[in-house]
Amino acid sequence: MTVAKLFRHETILAILTVIAMIVLASLSDKFFTLDNLLNQGRLMAEVGLISLAMTFVIVTGGIDLSVGSILGLTAILLGVFWHNVGLPLPAAILLAMVCGTFAGWVNGLIITRFSVPPLIATLATLALYRGLAEGISEARSVRGYPEWFFFFGQGEVLGVPFQLWVMGIATLIAAAILGLTPFGRATYAIGANEVAARFSGIRVDATKLWIYTASGFCAALAAVIFVSRVTTTRSDMGTGLELDAITAVVLGGTSIFGGRGTIIGTALGLILIQALKNGLALSGVKGDGTIVVIGLVLIGAILVGALFDRNRGG
Amino acid sequence: MKKLTLATIVGLGLMSGSALAASAWTGGDDLPTNPLSCDATPAAAVAAPYDGGVPTNPPDRKGKKITVVDVPKLIGIGYFNATSKGITDAAAELGNVDAKTDGPTKANIDEQITFLDNYITSGVDGILFAANDPVAIAPVLKKALEKGINVVGYDANSTPDARQWFVNQAQFNGIAKALVDNMATEAGEDAGVAIVTSTFTTPNQARWIAEMAAYAEKCHPKMKWLETVEAQEDNNLSFNQATTLINKYGDDLKGIFGMTSVATPASAEAVTQAGKCGKIAVVGLATPNAMKPYVEKQCVKSVVLWNPVDLGYAAMMVLRSVADGTLQPGATTVKAGKLGDLQVINGSEILLGAPYTFTKDNIGQFDF
Amino acid sequence: MTAAALSPGRSNLHRFLSGYGQEIVVLLSIVALFVVVGAINHRFLSDTNINSIFAGNAYIAIAAIGMSMVIIAGHIDVSVGALIGVIATIAGTLAVSGYPIWVAWTVPILFAIAVNAGVGTLVAYTRIPSIVVTLGMLSILKGGLISATAGEWISNLPPEFMIAQMRPFGIPSAVWFMVALTIIASLFLRYTDFGRSIYAVGGNMEAARAAGINPERTVIGVFALHGLFAGIAGILFATQLQVIQSTVPPNLELTVITASVIGGVSILGGTGTVIGSTLAAILFACIGSALIFLNVSAYWLRAVLGLMILATVLADMARRRRAK
Repeated sequence: MTVAKLFRHETILAILTVIAMIVLASLSDKFFTLDNLLNQGRLMAEVGLISLAMTFVIVTGGIDLSVGSILGLTAILLGVFWHNVGLPLPAAILLAMVCGTFAGWVNGLIITRFSVPPLIATLATLALYRGLAEGISEARSVRGYPEWFFFFGQGEVLGVPFQLWVMGIATLIAAAILGLTPFGRATYAIGANEVAARFSGIRVDATKLWIYTASGFCAALAAVIFVSRVTTTRSDMGTGLELDAITAVVLGGTSIFGGRGTIIGTALGLILIQALKNGLALSGVKGDGTIVVIGLVLIGAILVGALFDRNRGG
Repeated sequence: MKKLTLATIVGLGLMSGSALAASAWTGGDDLPTNPLSCDATPAAAVAAPYDGGVPTNPPDRKGKKITVVDVPKLIGIGYFNATSKGITDAAAELGNVDAKTDGPTKANIDEQITFLDNYITSGVDGILFAANDPVAIAPVLKKALEKGINVVGYDANSTPDARQWFVNQAQFNGIAKALVDNMATEAGEDAGVAIVTSTFTTPNQARWIAEMAAYAEKCHPKMKWLETVEAQEDNNLSFNQATTLINKYGDDLKGIFGMTSVATPASAEAVTQAGKCGKIAVVGLATPNAMKPYVEKQCVKSVVLWNPVDLGYAAMMVLRSVADGTLQPGATTVKAGKLGDLQVINGSEILLGAPYTFTKDNIGQFDF
Repeated sequence: MTAAALSPGRSNLHRFLSGYGQEIVVLLSIVALFVVVGAINHRFLSDTNINSIFAGNAYIAIAAIGMSMVIIAGHIDVSVGALIGVIATIAGTLAVSGYPIWVAWTVPILFAIAVNAGVGTLVAYTRIPSIVVTLGMLSILKGGLISATAGEWISNLPPEFMIAQMRPFGIPSAVWFMVALTIIASLFLRYTDFGRSIYAVGGNMEAARAAGINPERTVIGVFALHGLFAGIAGILFATQLQVIQSTVPPNLELTVITASVIGGVSILGGTGTVIGSTLAAILFACIGSALIFLNVSAYWLRAVLGLMILATVLADMARRRRAK
């Protein structure tokens, strides 16, 4: 049992990440520097935050394709509330985040109340939220934010990028909730067998509603950090982010069928992808080559994990 | 629930109605416009002080071999292949530049920033860029300047203080004038026209549309703008959208503006397949190779564009001059190899030239 | 809701309607759209417009047939858009390099079948979820295509290559393909052992195995078939216009998947028909065209589209609930 535990997906992934780090560091002396690694953390934070909530979503056996659109919608609303409506910026940020969270709640409502499969529900809201962002903004950008606002996306605390702190704290909270609380156990139970979970008294719908709302919240939080990092809002922000997040979560060993997965795995998946993107670029591989490598690693890592799994499971 | 859905649809319909009532040309941005005069008088060049950025303590690169990375909006489309070719040509001609092109596979601000960030870390000497968003790209470019890297833009600008120079292929109002004048000649002063663009968030396209609207209002006030449709950078979608416009407006549609090198040939194809050659004029920005079949068949009379190979070439030459220190703030011209002297405008922009109009007579001479 | 409106006495019709409930909802939506939009702007009903709605989007419907089979078998493929881009590029390259036209048509289709059979083998024997394999495949195909072509457009295609532009009996060949393949595929799913085994595997794999079906072979077969349909879709996509872009068509996989699921294929596997997915692909094309005809502000277009998808889904859910 202990040997088998050693070969959990996360362990394999950790080993793979370390190997990748060593190889990449030997390919480029610019890779393994504190400066670069911290900077990569900065670039990773938005996808990272979304992936945390996505882990919960996928553990329940669901999926949320609308996160990229929620990010875009929140960003646009932030700009519109501040610039066009004339709210003070802190109020605009808060209100935009409330709206983003609400968008996640609507996803949850459609999925639980009307029992629409999550893939379809969020496919529809993917188009809807992006469309709202385009319509509300009329495709115009809002720029010229005050200097203090850029702290969220560009500032540092104790030498570490601000959003890396946010990301770190959020990871700890997410890991604690999923691993240690009744809520986490309910999440796994729903993913493993929803009907059984319902019969054993778990409040399935309420749990799911919370999770999709949290997914909206994380996307909204990521939006604020993103806007602060790039100093402007655009209605096409976050396009395609959902696939990046899902890739990280799945690479992290979360089963797409639900019931299995950890926050640690997701974090490792994120780190591995970001390290590959950055390290390969630094060692002179072009972007199109990097995409191919990431595709191969994704299949390869899951393949290895599945093989060990089968040996263990018999 | 159905009531709610219905209410939302009605609400959306109302909103869209009111948005339509605003009746500016859809797809333009909200920046101030500066339409040229209706006749051929060139705009007086206004001398402006240098407003570009300055790299912090750049090493002496004069005459030394430098590594340069070119990060266009996206890779894998014909237009940026052509600029990349120009950059490679210039690098080969200079002999002391190691240049490569790398970038995102879709026009995405976030990915472009990540690419730039990685190349800054890897320690290049110079960066060439075409921005997906002028403001979003600024912080990372400023970071490059802080690290002493020479930064030159082309095709799509950033905010001026985030780069040193910008090679401007043609002024926005110049493009707008060429397009609208050509349309008025081919389709008539009172023609009903529609636009096929990439997306409303693409800054260059939005700028052109705004300038076109301003110029049309000033010089061709009877021209009737019907509609703008989005078609990404997608051939088939552009074709479908253009076809739908033709079907919708019937004989009221006299002309289609194609705002991208994808939309224009696709619109021409739509007009051809609908059998409307000669009845609906297609005017737009496009590369000559894609347009040759339609121009030769007389379905399209004129195509407007600058030479993207020259654009990339000029950008590389400017970057070399900046690295060598031969191009300093305050200069009024810059030597750009085989292109000769290029003029400095607007403080820190270098003008490639006036937009070029390809017609049946000259299109055969170009191959890009 | 259509099914529930009928009196319970007419049981045959009732059974038929509840069996094809979603297809009928989609069909009625199409008819309603034509009536309403046609009344507002009669040009919407002109034969040229109807023609372009059908012919311009037939390749999506055909790709959705294969996708539906994959989803019925309990799997998914998010790489189909990339695959279609690759097929179009291969076909165009072969056509302009002087190979016989039938080679330019068939080799890419065989390539698509081979790629997807490979995907199917991975999915079937390693038990890696199909979404993971195809996510990886999406990256590999996309990156590979850009590396290989650098996005160079293919033009000067020989006229006899343009199969989608041919019009046997006055109707575009793409429409013939769409109709014929939909009919063949639905007969195949309904009346052949292999077709029925797809439903069985998607419904309950272990039960299917117990019933003597080899689920692994079925999954590989389904993916290979999906490759065949994607291949045909890719050829039609490639031959629609005079140039081939050599890129991955943006968001095509989402459109194809949406068409399948809106058409009544349950994402959980085991149910659905390809008639529904073809109808849904047509519905989308109609909506896209109708929104332009209705003067919906271009800025709000996508929001309205999203709302309409949502409305269709909710209507379906309401119908199923009442049918219970």
